[in-house]
Amino acid sequence: MRDGGRVQKRTLRRADRRRRFLRDRSLLLMVIPAVVLLLIFNYAPMFGTATAFQNYSIYAGFMHSPWSGLETFRSMFADPLFWQSLENTLVLSLVQLLLFFPIPIALALLLNSVMNNRVRTIVQSVVYLPHFFSWVLAVTIFQEMLGGAGALNQALRQHGYATWDIMTNPDAFKFLVTAQVVWKEAGWGIIVFLAALAAIDQNLYEASAVDGAGRWRRMWHITLPGIRSIVVLMLVLRLGNTLTVGFEQMLIQRGAVGRDASEVLDTYAYYYGVVNANFSLGAAASLFKGVLSLILILAANKIAHLVGEDGLYRK
Amino acid sequence: MNPLDGLRADRRRFLELAGLGAIAFAGSGLLAGCGDAKTTNGPGTTGKDQLKALLPSYVEASNAIKPDIASVQGSNGFFSDAVFLAYPASPVTTATGIPGKGGTYVATTPLWGAIPGTSGNSYYEAVNKALGANVKIQPSDGTNYEKVLPTLFAGDKLPDWIQIPSWNMPKLGFADAVGKFADLGPYLSGDLVKAYPNLAAIPTSAWQCCIWNGKLYGLPVYYGGATFNGMPFYRKDIFDKAGINADEIDSPDKLAALGKELTNANAGQWAFGDMYGYINHMFKFPADPNRWTIDADGKILHRYETPGHLEALNWQNKLATAGYIHPDALADKSQDAKQRFWSGKEVISGDGPGAWTGDDSSSGKAANPTYNRQAFKIFAADGKPEVLMNPSAGMYSFLNGKLSADQIKEALAIANYLAAPYGSAEWLTINFGVDGVDYKMTDGNPVLTEKGSKEVATTYQFLITPLTPTTVKGGDVQATKDYAAWQGDMVKYAVKPAFYGMNVTEPAQYAKLVQPMEDTIKDVRYGRKPVSAYEEALKSWKAQGGDQLRAFYEDIRQKYGTGQ
Repeated sequence: MRDGGRVQKRTLRRADRRRRFLRDRSLLLMVIPAVVLLLIFNYAPMFGTATAFQNYSIYAGFMHSPWSGLETFRSMFADPLFWQSLENTLVLSLVQLLLFFPIPIALALLLNSVMNNRVRTIVQSVVYLPHFFSWVLAVTIFQEMLGGAGALNQALRQHGYATWDIMTNPDAFKFLVTAQVVWKEAGWGIIVFLAALAAIDQNLYEASAVDGAGRWRRMWHITLPGIRSIVVLMLVLRLGNTLTVGFEQMLIQRGAVGRDASEVLDTYAYYYGVVNANFSLGAAASLFKGVLSLILILAANKIAHLVGEDGLYRK
Repeated sequence: MNPLDGLRADRRRFLELAGLGAIAFAGSGLLAGCGDAKTTNGPGTTGKDQLKALLPSYVEASNAIKPDIASVQGSNGFFSDAVFLAYPASPVTTATGIPGKGGTYVATTPLWGAIPGTSGNSYYEAVNKALGANVKIQPSDGTNYEKVLPTLFAGDKLPDWIQIPSWNMPKLGFADAVGKFADLGPYLSGDLVKAYPNLAAIPTSAWQCCIWNGKLYGLPVYYGGATFNGMPFYRKDIFDKAGINADEIDSPDKLAALGKELTNANAGQWAFGDMYGYINHMFKFPADPNRWTIDADGKILHRYETPGHLEALNWQNKLATAGYIHPDALADKSQDAKQRFWSGKEVISGDGPGAWTGDDSSSGKAANPTYNRQAFKIFAADGKPEVLMNPSAGMYSFLNGKLSADQIKEALAIANYLAAPYGSAEWLTINFGVDGVDYKMTDGNPVLTEKGSKEVATTYQFLITPLTPTTVKGGDVQATKDYAAWQGDMVKYAVKPAFYGMNVTEPAQYAKLVQPMEDTIKDVRYGRKPVSAYEEALKSWKAQGGDQLRAFYEDIRQKYGTGQ
């Protein structure tokens, strides 16, 4: 009897799956190009991570390079420069999480409260614009403004004040980097929050206004709960990217502040892996980063589920 | 419904595709593996006695054109470039007939600049017609070239003809890589080269750079009789205004003393740019690509260990902390160094010798009509100047080892044409294309037309060149004469560093020693860390492999000599 039930259940499930497949076939068809791209550029290269466990030589290829087991990882973990790069990565990430993450949300709330459409469009365009600049350009603009011979310091100098060259100060580098990210990306970051705000039912505001709720009460009881799930989703994604803190930005400014302040996991993999042609080490450092990121994103997702949010997917 | 469910339903397909991807990806490795699964890991170099049999004979060109200023013979066999102030009026033809037999060769060269279009390119068409062959040039971005090369080797996708700069070679473990190319010894060694007169006119010092593992593999590109990194330049117009006589500056201390006098930060003028890369001759330490020297006791020392290098760091560190170096230079903005010099924001700045001629004076005069670039006469901290020279050639081209003997002979005949000397008719075609279409003669020198500047790029020249003279490029004849006089003086102090032009391939495990040292050097020379930080880093360099690397070179000295 019990067996019969199980078979029946399985048949039902299979029928259900076929029904869903037929229902969603056009959606599935649309998703194929993206899946193919993912396969070619994200999944196929994963086989290259084998080089992390080899003594890889470009002449032997990864089919013939000798296996070295965990040797590359052992020497990487024994390298103080690796730990320095990990520490820098985590510190920079934490500073950015605290100082950057809330800014697009605040900006979105601010813009949302602006009633004049024209002002809103202008402000929005102005804050979007830096996103389309390259990092080389962004850093150059900062150098021209805040560098030792930049606009700010020349003005200070000419008026007899002490100068302050933040562009070459290793101790202030984490704040400089965060300031650059805010300048360049905050405007872009508000898009998703603005969309979430637009999705909130306007009737709720009217109803609460009628009930006598002021501006702050409406924000607290309607706006914030309305965008909570998207904030949590963005936070989960951000945590998954904890170990990615801007390769290009670090590479460009490494000479200005030195390795001690600017070496992050990505630049470590680049300088000691790619530049030195030690591809095994590069692969090992990147694999380490990948595994850690996966753990972080799963953990963050778990926490989101525990507090009753959707996170990356509905449970 | 969760959007990821769709993916899950399609999982089987997904895995199949992933499997296919894996096979395609592994295939490239498999091909590379079949060719050369074993690596030699040898040092790649060649002893002096072996060289004699390998090197092509030198036969001076019979129809050489007399330059306006003759080359100056310096010490140790080095010589300055000959100077032409205008292109010879009636160019001669040096190669007889059309060299090619209609073969097709794909050639990959680096290119620093915009890559010209191939379809309807009258320059490419004209050169290929003159060559009698279809040399398909595939230029690749020079700054990313070192990332392209490993994939060409790993994928076994090497073209028929390829140029590889020496600075990209350590990454390739070149003693292993070079085996993929054709051994040119059976075609060029000794008197065999006489079949190709323009190749026979290449100086022996340039051929010496083309030998690896006891075989002649390379064809030299842009070589010279006195190749080196560069020197400190100064703005003579600003010096004159300040009443400074540059000829009186004959020691690093006197040079440093100009810092205070020439720095006026309020007006946006600093005395110095970043000098580190251009002061090695003052303090007598070898600069890249040279790294080793032998001290008075016969001990082999790396650049990092020489007293001169420490002095140089100390010298620049003091200038940096005293505020005499432009803040942008200390922020590592080296790409704008020329602009800072042109606009007078930096009065003294290091640069390569090529900075003096070319478009420099027109760019400088655009900012300031009195602009005048000059270089200090060679001087040294101890009063006994020595300039450690670079290998004659820094770039080489190679023929694919899979080419047949007939194809190699055709390619060498083409090379002979491409190596036609300055002043010849061939040289004009190779460098400027078609008269009246790609270039026009202006004031006795060829100048690219608008069409020409879109079509002509340094491409064929990166396969092989003749000896390059100093010429008038930016219209400033005086700058060309000044440079020639300076170089003629400099070659008197020319010296060969240890392991000169020996093409030693260091074992890969020592590559990791470089980056931490270079990072610390930058910290010190930009004034972020004291010189003691450098001495600390040097200790760990020695302990982590520097001393072993010295032993490796000791072994080279025993077996192959020092190349001096």
